[in-house]
Amino acid sequence: MKPIELERPAKRAGKWRAVAMTLREKRTKRLAYLFVLPALLFFVLLNAYPLVTVLLDSFQFKNLMNKALSGFAGLTNYKEVVQNEYFRTALKNTAVWTILSVAGEYALGLLSALALNQQIKGRTLFRAIIIIPWVVPIVIAGMTWTWMLTPDYGIINLWLVKLGLLKEPYYWLGELNTALLTVVFVNVWRSFPFYTISLLAGLQSVSRDIVEAAAIDGAGVRRRFWYIVLPQLKTVSLTIVFIHIIWTAINFDFIWVMTEGGPLYSSETLPIMIYRYAMQDYNFGNASALASMMLGFMISGFILYYFFSVRKNRR
Amino acid sequence: MKAKKRLFGLAAVLVLSTALAACGGKNNEPAASPTGNAEPAQEAVTLDFWAALDPSTDEGKTIQAKVKEFDDSHAEINVNLQVITYDVMHDKLVAAINAGDAPDLSWGLSEWFGEFNKMDALQDLTPYLDKWADKSNIYPNVLEALTVEGKTKALPNYLGIRALLYHEDILKAAGITAPPKTWDELLAMAPVIKEKTGKEAFGIAGAGVRSPQELIMYLAQNDVTLADKQADGKYKNTWQDNPDQLAKAAEVFKFYQDLLAAKAIQADAKTWGWEEEDQNFVLAQYAMVVNGPWIEGRSSENPDGMKDVKVAAPVYKNKPATFMEIAPLYVYKSENPDQAWEFASYLLGAEYQKAVNPGKNPRSDLVNDSGWGKDFMALASQGVVFPAVSLGGITKAMEDSLARAMLKNDKPEDVAKWLSQAINDSLSKTGELSGS
Amino acid sequence: MLISRSKQRFLTLLTYAVLIGFSVYCLFPFLWMLATSIKPDAEIRTVNPTFWISAPTWKHFENVLHGSAFLTFFKNSVFISAVTTGASLIISIFAGYALSRFVRFRGVKLFGIAMLLSQMIPGVLLLIPLYLVMKNLSLINTYSSLILAYTTFTVPLCTFMMKGFFDSVPFEMEESAEIDGCSRVGIIFRILMPVSLPSLVATSLFAFLNAWNEFMFGFVFINDEEHRTLTPGISLFKGLYQTDWGSMMAASVMSVLPVVIIFVFLQKFLVEGMTAGAVKG
Repeated sequence: MKPIELERPAKRAGKWRAVAMTLREKRTKRLAYLFVLPALLFFVLLNAYPLVTVLLDSFQFKNLMNKALSGFAGLTNYKEVVQNEYFRTALKNTAVWTILSVAGEYALGLLSALALNQQIKGRTLFRAIIIIPWVVPIVIAGMTWTWMLTPDYGIINLWLVKLGLLKEPYYWLGELNTALLTVVFVNVWRSFPFYTISLLAGLQSVSRDIVEAAAIDGAGVRRRFWYIVLPQLKTVSLTIVFIHIIWTAINFDFIWVMTEGGPLYSSETLPIMIYRYAMQDYNFGNASALASMMLGFMISGFILYYFFSVRKNRR
Repeated sequence: MKAKKRLFGLAAVLVLSTALAACGGKNNEPAASPTGNAEPAQEAVTLDFWAALDPSTDEGKTIQAKVKEFDDSHAEINVNLQVITYDVMHDKLVAAINAGDAPDLSWGLSEWFGEFNKMDALQDLTPYLDKWADKSNIYPNVLEALTVEGKTKALPNYLGIRALLYHEDILKAAGITAPPKTWDELLAMAPVIKEKTGKEAFGIAGAGVRSPQELIMYLAQNDVTLADKQADGKYKNTWQDNPDQLAKAAEVFKFYQDLLAAKAIQADAKTWGWEEEDQNFVLAQYAMVVNGPWIEGRSSENPDGMKDVKVAAPVYKNKPATFMEIAPLYVYKSENPDQAWEFASYLLGAEYQKAVNPGKNPRSDLVNDSGWGKDFMALASQGVVFPAVSLGGITKAMEDSLARAMLKNDKPEDVAKWLSQAINDSLSKTGELSGS
Repeated sequence: MLISRSKQRFLTLLTYAVLIGFSVYCLFPFLWMLATSIKPDAEIRTVNPTFWISAPTWKHFENVLHGSAFLTFFKNSVFISAVTTGASLIISIFAGYALSRFVRFRGVKLFGIAMLLSQMIPGVLLLIPLYLVMKNLSLINTYSSLILAYTTFTVPLCTFMMKGFFDSVPFEMEESAEIDGCSRVGIIFRILMPVSLPSLVATSLFAFLNAWNEFMFGFVFINDEEHRTLTPGISLFKGLYQTDWGSMMAASVMSVLPVVIIFVFLQKFLVEGMTAGAVKG
């Protein structure tokens, strides 16, 4: 590295310093914008532009099957969506799906991360095994699980019956009260390894000295976990939970591959409903209205969370 | 450190070069061409053809060979055959049609016919057909089903006529010599079969694409239709105007409930899709099903389960009827309609149909003497089809109505009323409701 | 030590029990795929499914390798995923650096919010708008369409991961380099990159995996076999009236195994890389 001695504002003395700093700051600002430019370009072309289209379409009549009806629709699309018989079901299912999935994933992720953080033989092997579900494509995982869960020729039902846990094969994906829960179960299977890795990373950065010091002070395993380890995981946990709430809420593939939202809308979530409006009814007005609403829900949720946490931090 | 830098440089170049390559493609392309394949007239025309064939089967291989034969024998036409499964074909076609980027020809389901026609994506084939020497060899009721306002907008690719398939051994074990002819006979046989063999008598599809196809058949067997063309050329479901029809429609839902109550079908069948329905029948898990000729293809995988399967006419209540699936060959509006027709007429020709669809072709001059083909084709005259309207909302409503009848146990009359309303709502949304 | 010996032994046993439980849960469907892929057709769909294979066969693998365009799909996926990974990495290194060091500028902050926002758009909704964009750019049926789309999808998270990492690198390290006259780009590549190898690996693995597994856009943007990627290619075994499970599972195994092997070899980096970003998040 050759030192290039053209100008070094930091070394200039006296009254020139302030002017130089702002000049420098300006240059830095330009540089900062240059750095985010490529990412921003992608965002504008492939996210922002479609997003604006969606927002605009939500106030238009836009039905491919009925081109005669077009133009400004006001809030008609929103009204139609809210009045849909299954709107509330889908809203509730989305909440259930998101909360249960994220909670289950977090619990399993934490448990597996804690186990993998112990000094035992074969750790590398176990860690490799636990990553596998995350690597299997959703479509393939969904189809394989669907097959394994069928009542008549699926291995899971057969084993459950043989073990005496079930009296007769049960159609997990075909009954109103278990379809959504079953998809949650499979979703947890596929997504928890991401938590495992993140939390394991968090655990490994927990200082061993502090834990040992606490042990010498007489803190038991449980106390040490609750008061030393867990607080250290707070930031990681918040980040992964935050991002997974978003990802899970907008997830479409898993439910579509396994149940298509059925039976009788019992596993229908908002993204499935958006898909139906767009690709089955060709009603892009309604689809856009629902999507805008969903976006609105999520943004307001996070704004609420943000203010809540800022306020808490100030105290 | 240097190596790493080089790696990044390489990646950057890679990104750039692909982007540039794409730009190059753009420049070479005449702006008017939707498919990117149009070239000056004297040169060969390329037709994009999307088929849902299964390349691992003999049938799929025959199709590929036959298409290649056409390609080789026509210097001025190139066929670009792409295999795309029915699962995603619909979404791909909708996206492509919307972007003005449709292929020249594609396979498809009859359920999409009304929609694509509404999207104004389909080529009017009437003038070509009228000049075609083979027109009289296609079943007239099949062509009729693909004709809207006097214009034929699609061609029949193959037929999936439904018949009653039964495991003869299961019926024999229950002491039954002949398959049932009516709904009541079927319901009466069910307890006997269950008692003697431990297996259910019948199978249905309660969910998925197959379930509306079965529902429209049962409705037809009780002499009710989904939607009728009215004087103004638009459609309407008239059950609510006509108590007699409403009662008949309700009887159909009652039939579904009776099947469940009498344990004539497995409890799970209320949410079976076509895969479960077919698979369980092939495994001889139940005795009878109304299904299509493709089941014959399962013999290789499950020879034991399939060896005693026989074909009969579907059970009925008032009027013998079956569902006739007409899998259309869609020809889209493009710049090369003449070449597209040339290829389409080859796909409909005797030689291709004989080789590819021996037991399910739409030509009356090619009835197969051996195997299943004959038994299925004998039912062609009583086949019913979906009305030529946008069906997306309607088939979904039909599926929901079955769930209401079998999962929620709503009263059959209520379900019939609900479905009637849902059909008209859907017609109204797409601007196809009579009187609107 | 920290706990008594008997307690220690109990904990070890418990740990093994938990890990074995997890292994069964994680491996079960994968083993089922593996078993199915070497079963003859007659044993695949029966009333008594079992892991036991009485007549193992390589028939399905042969069919996949010789009877289908699997190798083309595989090659395409490797290419698209690799380019996507490279592109996302470069873009997100800069964007992540800006988010980490320059949040004081309002524009950068807004950019961060935009990145977060982009995560909230359901992919289903983008299907038709993006198809139109690609159509207008004449990119339908090209590798570029998928590379562009996948890069867009992966950049936000990669950016956040890189930001998390840069946050954990002390600023002093850069200052001293700056005094030595390094440009910002020089600082990033000469000072930060060498110490961030694990984070780079973790971020790349994430980007790669996303591109490798994506299904819907891969299907909608691509019309021919020469450009088709793996997941849509595999689903082609789901035939017209029946699914060729043996071949589908054989193809799945062959598409999942390489990634599993990559992950197994690089998993150390994965955890280390996440550690760097995880502390500050």
